[in-house]
Amino acid sequence: MEKKLIGKRIPRNEDPRLLTGQAQFVDDVNLPGMLHAAFLRSEYAHARLVSLDVSKARQHPGVVAVYTAEDMGKDWFPGPPLVSPPPTVEDVVFHSRRQVPLVKDKIRHAGEAVAVVIAENRYIAEDAAELIEVEYESLPVIMNIEKALEADSPLVHDDLDSNLAAQLSQKKGDYEAALKEADVVIRRRIVIERGAAAAMENRGVIAQWDAKGEALTVWDTTQAPIPIRNGLAARLGLSESQVRVIAPYIGGGFGPKIMMFYPEEMLIPWLAMKLNRPIKWIEDRRENFYATTQERGQVHDVEIALTRDGKVLGLKDNFLHDTGAYDPYGLTIPINTQCHVMGGYDIKNFTSEFKVVFTNKIIVTPVRGAGRPQGIFIIERMMDFAAKELGIDPVEIRKRNLIQPNAFPYEHGIIDQAFAPLILDSGNYPAVLQKTLDAIGYEKFIKEEQPRLRKEGKYVGIGVVPFIETTGIGPYEGARVTVEASGKVNVATGIGTQGQGHFTSFAQIVAEQIGVKVTDVRIVTGDTSEFHWGTGTFASRGAVVAGSAIHAASSMVRKKIFTLASKILETPEEELELEDGAVRVADMPQRFISLGELALLANPLRGAVEPGTEPGLESTAYYGPRYGPTAFGAHAMILELDPDTMMVKVRRYVVTEDCGTVLNPLILEGQVHGGVSMGLGNSYYEQLHYDENGQLLNASFADYLLVGATEMPNIEVHHVETLSPLNELGVKGAGEAGAIPVPAVFAQAVENALSDREFEINEMPLSPNRLFELVKS
Amino acid sequence: MESTAQNLFELAVTVNGTRYERTVEPRMLLSDFLRHELDLTGTHVGCEHGVCGACSVLMDGRPVRSCLMFAVQANGHEITTVEGLGTIDNLHPVQKSFQEAHGLQCGFCTPGILTTVVAFLEENPDPSEEEIREAISGNLCRCTGYQHIVDAVQLAAEKMK
Amino acid sequence: MKIEGEYTFDGPREAVWKLVRDPEVLMKCLPGTQTVNQVSDTEFTGEITVRIGPFSGAFAGRVIVSDEVPPQSCTLTVEGTGKIGFLKGVGSIAMTELEDQKTLMKYTGEAQIGGKVASVGQRLFDSVSKSMVKQGLDTLNEILKSNNA
Repeated sequence: MEKKLIGKRIPRNEDPRLLTGQAQFVDDVNLPGMLHAAFLRSEYAHARLVSLDVSKARQHPGVVAVYTAEDMGKDWFPGPPLVSPPPTVEDVVFHSRRQVPLVKDKIRHAGEAVAVVIAENRYIAEDAAELIEVEYESLPVIMNIEKALEADSPLVHDDLDSNLAAQLSQKKGDYEAALKEADVVIRRRIVIERGAAAAMENRGVIAQWDAKGEALTVWDTTQAPIPIRNGLAARLGLSESQVRVIAPYIGGGFGPKIMMFYPEEMLIPWLAMKLNRPIKWIEDRRENFYATTQERGQVHDVEIALTRDGKVLGLKDNFLHDTGAYDPYGLTIPINTQCHVMGGYDIKNFTSEFKVVFTNKIIVTPVRGAGRPQGIFIIERMMDFAAKELGIDPVEIRKRNLIQPNAFPYEHGIIDQAFAPLILDSGNYPAVLQKTLDAIGYEKFIKEEQPRLRKEGKYVGIGVVPFIETTGIGPYEGARVTVEASGKVNVATGIGTQGQGHFTSFAQIVAEQIGVKVTDVRIVTGDTSEFHWGTGTFASRGAVVAGSAIHAASSMVRKKIFTLASKILETPEEELELEDGAVRVADMPQRFISLGELALLANPLRGAVEPGTEPGLESTAYYGPRYGPTAFGAHAMILELDPDTMMVKVRRYVVTEDCGTVLNPLILEGQVHGGVSMGLGNSYYEQLHYDENGQLLNASFADYLLVGATEMPNIEVHHVETLSPLNELGVKGAGEAGAIPVPAVFAQAVENALSDREFEINEMPLSPNRLFELVKS
Repeated sequence: MESTAQNLFELAVTVNGTRYERTVEPRMLLSDFLRHELDLTGTHVGCEHGVCGACSVLMDGRPVRSCLMFAVQANGHEITTVEGLGTIDNLHPVQKSFQEAHGLQCGFCTPGILTTVVAFLEENPDPSEEEIREAISGNLCRCTGYQHIVDAVQLAAEKMK
Repeated sequence: MKIEGEYTFDGPREAVWKLVRDPEVLMKCLPGTQTVNQVSDTEFTGEITVRIGPFSGAFAGRVIVSDEVPPQSCTLTVEGTGKIGFLKGVGSIAMTELEDQKTLMKYTGEAQIGGKVASVGQRLFDSVSKSMVKQGLDTLNEILKSNNA
């Protein structure tokens, strides 16, 4: 079937609502009798809670209730463990320590909630929170992941022997043997620091308990409404069908809005039941810096073994991963790092061990990239160092090591974050790299432009980096597709949506199969009363997993349409055409039936539905991949740098993305642009600065610098489409891709621009100050 | 709320052409007033300290940060929010251009960008790319990387000629 | 964060020492001080209102004087908590006599701050603390001069 809608630049269905202020976000929900919550959070990063006096707050006019951990009685218990350690790897260490709804005895990071105030409005709730008197006994603070593992380090969790949260090794081939054969071995220590996801919308939870109807409704800025519903039901002793979780329009997710079971997510519904009043809590920006999860902190000791002509024989990467005060999200991030540290290269011998470390910082869970940017940064830095050491062009050394098109599926022999084997399903890596080089004019820049500009006193540099992105992991998603009597199509799926354009790209998949206009397909996501099986939006899996389920359900509906239409039009199915919302007899266009009429006939009020058939033009389908497809891409940048101020201007930025079938290039480009802007932030602007006492020193947008319109370059996006053999649509994910290689490209370009100086970039993120120090030292 | 009852303030403000009279606490922010008192929830609050620009509305035609203003400061003024620009069935040319150029993703920062851009294009109907980037440099967007926003503003400028 | 500096008083060391150890004088010198109570010979409690950038708030705190070598040097341990954060610090002052009946005070200390003041006010804290110290020492010097006059 020739594709009519898939692959087209179709403007988005959801935009008119969003553009006119008519899209409902969580904070827009306003219920009669609604109360408002404010949290009192610890200012200490590590302290014992000595005493807590809430009496003045309780007496404050307008306050309805104040709760502490003690007041929760037997309902106080930690959040559920979400992601367990992999069962198939030997000698895994994993100490599960989960976040608590309110601190009972010991504070483990600044910002941990100590008490919650419920009042008539937020202003009063915050006033009253200030009246709570707390006595803390401050404890030595654990901030540095290396020091945290030293024998005399204070402990984040007193019941453990050390701050080691987890440990896992993976191996492929024989690294020690590779080391013996190598002509050159390069070793480095590389440090990566934390950043914030900084979605423009802070988190929020609203809960309403209908005591007579025995039903709980929760509006939550979550990326995963179904697991939240299931977890809440279990926690509150309700049946899953009594709990409805709605994730309406969400103002950006980027990872931290995933099913972490934040303390507020556990508490607000519990309080709504307790007080039998609807309660709203909306996080403020400062809370977002102190109470929403973050990512990236790792320290790597890496070693690469090569032949003289630049062929990589083996790679060893041992690293520490900062998980913060608790580890509810398991090993997802460090395993992702492990799976990306070989990049898109054919590396036969590999060994990697990571240690996950507890610190007195906010919990770490995935942020756009989820361990992948670290892995790519490590391997690409090592490639650059190897190129320099061996006197090989940095692009050339990469070409010599890329996995070749005939090597797919390429099995690495280690496991990925979903505990599935790490298999790169398909790709044409050299073609993607070449397209990028051609687009940025690599040869010409190196040979002509750079020398000319250098003579003019301009410091310009180029960086080119290929990368892989594992995407679209299981376990599964599902969807229900229904043709309604109006002739329009309703689709319900379980994942949430945070701006990825699902209302449009999913509608294209459906419209392609069912022959309706894209605007006649209504997509419902993120409402457990509409569809209640699924996991959520993470790991660049929306288009792959939910998209494939929607495609499968649409195909089944298409079959039903043909079967019924054939009967009614008394024409064999092969002679029917489905187009423009109607089924026609191919050579008799006046003989047709509209989908609306057909839907009515499929759901008759009289007569019998034949045995073995179902009523309606409706199907539900699920898709669960054995393992996820792996996307590939390459980024190239030309930047200009002022060596006096170290201010950087990105002159050109080229991206080639191979995420298989492109559903909607307009949306895909948007995803790539946004990813690159976050990646650029992770390279040079955004860093969470903690002092040694665990105080976050830049907890506002005035001090934590997001990339603005004047810093962002225009990005040229090119596509190569190597279809994934793992799903019918041939798609691979792309949501995180843009962010993944940017720090590596940036580091290479900066070193290239300053090639007359002796320095090396072994850390991320940088800043003008830090780069200045590195170059001068 | 008796503790603050003595400090209430009578406020009269015109929002999107409709005159509203309300009694508010002096500390109530304009953003909270628009969202919670008038139920005009299209105006979003992203940072509460005047940096992100999501809450930008027009006061007498000029962009202001509604999270940095008290409602009482709008007394006697005319406010335009995103709801006052166009409707779902009749989008403002700037709104239409944002849809066509994919100038929004999650849409949370969008209302503040739209109001900023509407005022900007009135002042500068034929802007260069650099001027557009400068004009929206006080609005943070985490999703788009700004490129499609710049495209949308250029498209809108053409449409409105 | 480090606080360090020196100041020259227009008066003899004995007189400066006496003023430094007088809670009434300290209250006048530290801008924003609401109360100072002497708990013992070496311990003071009090309340001070501080304005840092967008925040202002009262800190309740305690100062302990130790390692005293009158009229030469001592160590000060400061602790304060308030709605906008907390502060902990240890500092020492050392005074030497100069010619012309003048006294040189050298002070050095290490302060930790936490809470809102740290997360949002950090950039301003340095300059606020410097200006508070300067203002305090200037006032102390004025009192010293008027006592001597």
